[in-house]
Amino acid sequence: MIKAPDVNWLAIAPMMTLMIGAFVLLLLASFIRGRDRGLGTVVGLVALLASAGFAINLWSEPATTTMAGALQIDQLTQVVTVLIAGCGILTLFVSFGWNRMRENGAEFVALLLLIAAGMDLIAASNSFVTLFVALELFSLSLYVLCAFDGKSKASLESGFKYLVLGTIGSMVLVYGAAFLYGATGSFGFEAINTALSKAGSGDALVILGTVLVLIGLAFKIGVMPFHMWVADVYEGAPTSVTGFMSAATKIAAFVALARVLLDALPAMRDTWAPALVIIAVVTMILGNISALVQTNLKRMLAYASVGAAGFGLIAIIVGGAAGTRGLIFYLAAYAPMAIGAFAVISLHERDHKGIATLDSIRGWGFQRPVAAVSMIVFLLGFAGFPLTVGFIGKFVVLGSAVEGNYTWLGVVAVVASVISLGYLLRIILAMFDRGAKSGVMMAAAPGMGSLNLAIVLCLALVLVGGILPGLGLDWAADAAKSLAAGR
Amino acid sequence: MITISTLIAVPAIAAVVLLVIPFARQAAGYLALLVSLAVLGGVIGFIYRFEPAAGYQFADNVSWIEPLGVRWHVAVNGVSLAMIAVTALVTTCALGFALWAKRDRSHASAALILMTEAFLILVFAARDLFAFYVGFEGMLIPLLILLVVWGGAGRKFATLQVIAYTAFGTLLMLLGILYLGLTAPDGPNFDMATAIGRGNDWVFFAFAIAFAIKSPLFPWHGWVLPAYRQASPEVAAVLSGVASKAGAFAFLAVLVPLFPAQAAKYAWVFIALGTIGFLWGSLLAFRQRDGRGVVAYSSIAQMSFIVLGIFLLSDRGATGATFQMVNHALVSAALFLVVGWLETQVGSDSFAKLGGLARRRPVLATVSIILGMAALAVPGSSVFASEFLIMLGAFEYRWWLGVIVSLGVVLAAMYMLRWISAILHDRESGLAGTLNPPDLKQGALMAILPLVLVLIGLSIVPAQFTDRVDASAQELFSAAAKEAGR
Repeated sequence: MIKAPDVNWLAIAPMMTLMIGAFVLLLLASFIRGRDRGLGTVVGLVALLASAGFAINLWSEPATTTMAGALQIDQLTQVVTVLIAGCGILTLFVSFGWNRMRENGAEFVALLLLIAAGMDLIAASNSFVTLFVALELFSLSLYVLCAFDGKSKASLESGFKYLVLGTIGSMVLVYGAAFLYGATGSFGFEAINTALSKAGSGDALVILGTVLVLIGLAFKIGVMPFHMWVADVYEGAPTSVTGFMSAATKIAAFVALARVLLDALPAMRDTWAPALVIIAVVTMILGNISALVQTNLKRMLAYASVGAAGFGLIAIIVGGAAGTRGLIFYLAAYAPMAIGAFAVISLHERDHKGIATLDSIRGWGFQRPVAAVSMIVFLLGFAGFPLTVGFIGKFVVLGSAVEGNYTWLGVVAVVASVISLGYLLRIILAMFDRGAKSGVMMAAAPGMGSLNLAIVLCLALVLVGGILPGLGLDWAADAAKSLAAGR
Repeated sequence: MITISTLIAVPAIAAVVLLVIPFARQAAGYLALLVSLAVLGGVIGFIYRFEPAAGYQFADNVSWIEPLGVRWHVAVNGVSLAMIAVTALVTTCALGFALWAKRDRSHASAALILMTEAFLILVFAARDLFAFYVGFEGMLIPLLILLVVWGGAGRKFATLQVIAYTAFGTLLMLLGILYLGLTAPDGPNFDMATAIGRGNDWVFFAFAIAFAIKSPLFPWHGWVLPAYRQASPEVAAVLSGVASKAGAFAFLAVLVPLFPAQAAKYAWVFIALGTIGFLWGSLLAFRQRDGRGVVAYSSIAQMSFIVLGIFLLSDRGATGATFQMVNHALVSAALFLVVGWLETQVGSDSFAKLGGLARRRPVLATVSIILGMAALAVPGSSVFASEFLIMLGAFEYRWWLGVIVSLGVVLAAMYMLRWISAILHDRESGLAGTLNPPDLKQGALMAILPLVLVLIGLSIVPAQFTDRVDASAQELFSAAAKEAGR
């Protein structure tokens, strides 16, 4: 007879809250008609806040595993849960005034909650099986969100492209996991690690498995040469979703990469580290150069996020306490900048009733000074200027590189950030182009209030995190201890 | 007790307030002027209480970012206090000029100039490498926006140049700072005092290139001309007057004391580059056809000269360089404001379109000639005192270096006289004839006059200055001088 595994309900409460929230919302929406937007926003906020609250409550609990070792509930899980909840809340604010929210708000928010649950589960996953299930939970929901603007061909195309390429990524990951299972007899991270450290790393099966797993995850974080989907998907997806994707997806996928490479496959470092070094260098340089030549702002920021992913890889390559702390802080720092920047683009799209390009934003900064100044702060944050949280993120990651004897990777990152200043400058120059439009302030756009709230919240996070990052760094250091490499 | 942090906090907070609250046009300008005057008053108070022999003073040293070992450590010695004083003065004059010129969106422009001031004072006062970096790179942000929004027609290219050059330098320096901070003996520590002597050659050059670009030292001066040409006059005054001094100051107060062995070993590189830059910049200044070109290239020449003085690693060189930093800040800021005033009156500062302005314009002529005489280092002027000190240092170092350097001083006379004769004398031709601009008066004069008066004051009592900075300057280079066997 099969014995049901013990379930520590309190430990998985953050994820359960989100899933229950999604189902309750869908149920309510079918009874209460025509109130989609309000209902979705309220239930979404409650679920996300509750999940963050549970996670904060669990912060001081010792790390445990539950569900027969499938999930590990530790401080890394809690940090990711809080971060994802934060991204979700900001996204709710950004989306509030969007016309699709009025029509299908409940579905939108329900999918958002499911994605958040999937991402939390990724952070908690302790075996390839859990990882795959969690990955698919969030990916499938995200494919739908990308295609959510059913009337827009670009949105449908974006969803479809993401579906096809994302599925390929997942398949490669599963294939790799199967090889690792064949070699070690287990899907569990810890068991794989134990088996590999005993058997050595020379087995062709293990090497093949490692490479395939690496490729599968590289698809998900969108680093070169597996980045082809990023620009198209980011461009076509509804802008609020793009902001959420670039922030939250990066967090989830990077944490998955860290768990797999640093917890399950540290024995295979000689295989994956050189590969990651090459990927990081190519991604940082080419990602930023590709961003330089874009004229569509969403595409530009998409390539910028590809470049940023390359930068994040440095932290994984370096590993150790400094590297893992750097990675977690950098991911957290990137989130408000990305969501904020895409929120500003959302605002522009509503003003302009069309896509945001370098041409369409000409002189727009004089009409919407607050949004434009916030945009400058977010862009300066991407480039890592002092007093923004992006600078601290860059500081800790580059610091880990210098400490870990990867200074030359730091030099490459420096060159990449100089290149990135090019597109930062193009956006600023366009927004404050005096010749373009009169300096008359624009009237409020629909949903401006909540959108502005999101922008200002992001701005505050970016600046406060940049000036007083001490607490955040402590949390990141604690969470890093959840990884074997961070201890 | 009031510490140096106050001088940073006041303009920074005022900048944020001005940005957030939409004041009426003139109100914002006056408020900013008032704030900068308050800062200036504070600096004068510090100068009054300053004790030349006591090293770094008025310090604040509290934990800032605990997990990174970063502290908020600011303090001043004679050299940094001199730079802070001149920063406060130039900022005040720049804000006065902006008020007179009635800049559009004045609250934002004034806020950004104040923000630049805050970052600059942080650079001059920082005793922690992290804080120093925040100021050094942070000042780029307001300057960049000032250039983009209020710059001239060619501002796009100019901004790109400024950013590409300076950001590259500062980011390399960031790696150097990380190295020094993270390899500190007892955990991460970015305090400058703990970094002394721990760097290697690579770290030294990572810092040196950042400072050389900012100064600018030949051959890293490519960004200067477009920036000085395109910035609005008050921003050009801040840029060439004080922002560029951040680089030269950092050579003297950060690079030389932190890397005594390397500074001694590679001093000849900077002396050579400084000499070349001095002559090259002076020659190019002589070839320019407009006022801004002359001031810009003369700035390159003077900054190279200052760097040369610093790396002589001698008493005369260091004190002379500090004095010359202050003098040049006053002269170049004032010159940019005069040139900018001319542009607003006649729409051009090209020599071909000007001439004979001295006629019926006694104030303009007097101010210009005083500035010109100061810039070409007429004996008796404070610039003469400082240039003479550096030249003397050069003679002491190698007699032939002294000879070469004096050539550059002669060139300075040539290009300044050329500028004076081109705009003041000659026939009243071109635009000056048709537009018949008024004399320099009231608002604009009030913005330029303080700089001229301080220059005259320093000329009368140079010892008041050198006595206050001498001990501090000596302290900065003494370790390196010992390494060099001097």
